[in-house]
Amino acid sequence: MFLAFALLTIGSALAMAFQKNVIVAGLFLVATFIGVAGLFILLSNPVSAALQIIVYAGAILVLLLFVIMMLNAHEEEPAQDDLYFQRYIALGLGIVLIGGSIILIRQSQLLQSLSEQQVHHIAPVSLNQMGAEMMTNHVISFEIIGLLLLVSMIGAISLVKKRL
Amino acid sequence: MILGILSLAPELSWMLIKVLVCIGFLMLLAPPLTWVERRGSAMIQDRIGPNRAALFGKIKILGLAHVLADGLKFFFKEDLIPKDANRALFWIAPALAFIPALLGFAVIPVGRSFELEGTTYHLSLIDPNNGMGLLYPLAIGGLAVYGVLVAAWSSNNKWSILGGMRASAQMVSYELGLGLSVIALFVTVGGYDPHQVILDQVQHGWYLWRQPLGFLVFFVCQFAETNRLPFDFAEGESEIVAGFHTEFGSMKFGLMGLAEYVHIIVASALIVTLYLGGWSIPFSRDGDSWPVLATVASFLAKLLFLCWVFVWVRWTLPRFRYDQLMHIGWKIMFPLSLINLVVNAWWLTR
Repeated sequence: MFLAFALLTIGSALAMAFQKNVIVAGLFLVATFIGVAGLFILLSNPVSAALQIIVYAGAILVLLLFVIMMLNAHEEEPAQDDLYFQRYIALGLGIVLIGGSIILIRQSQLLQSLSEQQVHHIAPVSLNQMGAEMMTNHVISFEIIGLLLLVSMIGAISLVKKRL
Repeated sequence: MILGILSLAPELSWMLIKVLVCIGFLMLLAPPLTWVERRGSAMIQDRIGPNRAALFGKIKILGLAHVLADGLKFFFKEDLIPKDANRALFWIAPALAFIPALLGFAVIPVGRSFELEGTTYHLSLIDPNNGMGLLYPLAIGGLAVYGVLVAAWSSNNKWSILGGMRASAQMVSYELGLGLSVIALFVTVGGYDPHQVILDQVQHGWYLWRQPLGFLVFFVCQFAETNRLPFDFAEGESEIVAGFHTEFGSMKFGLMGLAEYVHIIVASALIVTLYLGGWSIPFSRDGDSWPVLATVASFLAKLLFLCWVFVWVRWTLPRFRYDQLMHIGWKIMFPLSLINLVVNAWWLTR
């Protein structure tokens, strides 16, 4: 099961990156999100899986495809001024990101405790637990994200509406 | 007996039976619904409706043979693909429309859970307390728009793309009201598992009476989500030919039509579960003594009535204009669902 979802995720992510047609690439991104949702379920966190599908696949990508259809830009366009060193910076940053996350995951205590004692069945995370957790242990980051969203909403409105 | 021969574990065979019955039920109910739609529309518009097709040239049964004739015709039609269409996407679009419609039914309990020889059997495909609960049909419902979008874009036709764009904007707008009205219900129940929602309604009464505003918003948004009149902008045959499925013929079109009816059934099942007490029997509060089959019958009766309401509304109300659709979605339904949520939350903390 893990392999199936992991392959779905990675395969469609790669296909998305190499696809020239923007709409088909967007559909591959949907497949990637579904694969990630499957991985969340295997981690017995169905709430995150549902939110992943509702928010990303169900709303954000639909809006994205809507904009692409509206602008009628179906093919990838060549970059206007190609900064040749940009791609090397991106490559370096990508390697740092992947390497860093691998090191961090290998050092994590949860993983070590899992290798010492096997866990057979974990009760799935419920929405109630998640909400309680968000309002107690992570309340500051929750509020900061809320503020950030508010700021970006106001920014979007002020960009579009010339006369308030 | 057959299961004994296959020597499956009881849990697995129970699951298998449930999957077969559920999918079979949805597939078998959808074609007669097309008949209900055609005869119902005729009744509402004071016409006779389809009554010519006959089995063996004799048996007419109120035009029911038309369902069979339509199905056969879809299978034997020539399968045309437009020259400039994206062939791969054109092929999978009907499946993308049909599969999400079918999947949404999985968490709906069709009857009371019962115990037999020490094990508890639940009459829903996915057992309760799975953590996904009623988020699942909402998530799957959000995916349904891709069937329309892919069909619209892949046929490379201006009418189709217009239909697809309308559909995507409509779905995103109405999902907000849908989600918020359901959240108000979850807050009152204190959980989001369908079994929990139904048991709460058995004890305290239907949510139709307890949250009429939430019901109204949810009901209207379901019409928008299923692309039914007065919100069938993806098709809009008097404006954009047939919208997203202009280029589709043969069984591809058949599958899309079927998907619409399966969507109606699943939407009705959701409304029944959330607001009409699910499998509970009206005017009786003694939940544990109801016979299991009676609860299933009660669920089916409510479901079929709501399916009829979908047909009824379609032939009663005209289509909105596109700007009216957006106006209703963002300036009426969305604020109403917010008010509903805030009032219910205040009522709880009072």
